Amino acid sequence: MNNHDSLIANLSRNLAPVPPPPNINKLAMLWFCLSAFFVVVLIHLMGPVRPGAFSQLLKEPRFLLECLLGLAAIIWVCQLAFRDAIPGALTKQFYAFGIMLMVFWVAQYVIGFVSPALEPSMLGKRDHCFTETLLYSLPLILSGLFLIRRLYPLRPVRTAMSISLAAGMLPALYMQLACMYGPSHILTHHILPGLLMVPIGAAIAKLWRPHRDTPNGK
Amino acid sequence: MTQGSDEQRWSRLMVSAQAGNESDYRLLLTELSSVISHFLRSHFGNQHFTEDCVQESLIAIHQARHTYDPQRPFRPWLFAIVRHKAIDTLRNQTHRQKVINDYRGDQQVLSLSCQHNEAENEISKGDILVSLSPQHREALILTKFIGYSIAETAEKLCISESAVKVRIHRAIHKLQLLLEADE
Repeated sequence: MNNHDSLIANLSRNLAPVPPPPNINKLAMLWFCLSAFFVVVLIHLMGPVRPGAFSQLLKEPRFLLECLLGLAAIIWVCQLAFRDAIPGALTKQFYAFGIMLMVFWVAQYVIGFVSPALEPSMLGKRDHCFTETLLYSLPLILSGLFLIRRLYPLRPVRTAMSISLAAGMLPALYMQLACMYGPSHILTHHILPGLLMVPIGAAIAKLWRPHRDTPNGK
Repeated sequence: MTQGSDEQRWSRLMVSAQAGNESDYRLLLTELSSVISHFLRSHFGNQHFTEDCVQESLIAIHQARHTYDPQRPFRPWLFAIVRHKAIDTLRNQTHRQKVINDYRGDQQVLSLSCQHNEAENEISKGDILVSLSPQHREALILTKFIGYSIAETAEKLCISESAVKVRIHRAIHKLQLLLEADE
């Protein structure tokens, strides 16, 4: 019996059945919906949202488009993070499009310096929006990593960075409604803390590496 | 047997293995071990690390078997794991004096045009290595395939140790891209 045969015999002996594979798209959407619900509830509990923010969504098409673009970018990045945890499920094109969408969304606020979607105003300013964005995304990152670790990410740090980006940007997006509108404030107090969660997520992933069982499937 | 029928059979065997069928799983792993072995030999030649890499890949397939979804094709799932393990194994290759002794001389090994040495023949069989630039290839071969340390390689190539590290890093990155492109 050569080395391969003995390894194969070892791996297949007392083979434990495994649960059916999760539908990765549904799992990603479930995480996204629960996370969005958590963020929205928490932001409403911690302080009032900007007066008239929801009516601005209906009255200002560019503001609506900006928010929808952010939503699409976050959902896409969330999908790519979960796909990245399944070998061979994430294509380069899917990954590149998600990152491009995110950059395009953030670029809207840079364009906003010249031509903002809404008239910049201090109305509705929250005192701790920076800290709130940081804190609200932490449980999302941990829950995302918990789910991802149960799959098989071949590049766990990259996967963690993707899920952290989605988690960080979720409260950052809702802050456009909950806090004051001003491109520079948005970039420094909402988007920046969201982006800061990417290296934090990578650091968590480095410390909390997926546990991989020894060869007997037990 | 065609790729399509292999694909369907492996998929069926994996689904059966997910349900706990030992004999189907043994059959699947046996078939996959020769496929992986062939894949590695066709890309890297008959290197000392290919056996390790086949075993690492089989263990990874075992650990990842719960992530295989029969709705998706089997090959991308399998080769994503194999490619990752190949690069991982290559990256983790360390100093192996034993391997150096198998070679008759550095100059022969470095010159891919010279076909007298058996080891060179094996290296030149690896189509993917031929795609690397000569500088990257010699740094990679000396350190990862033959087993010289970074310091020894730097001395042989008359460059600094950091330059050797950069060349190895770039060579491995290039190999990764070549393997990914080879789906």
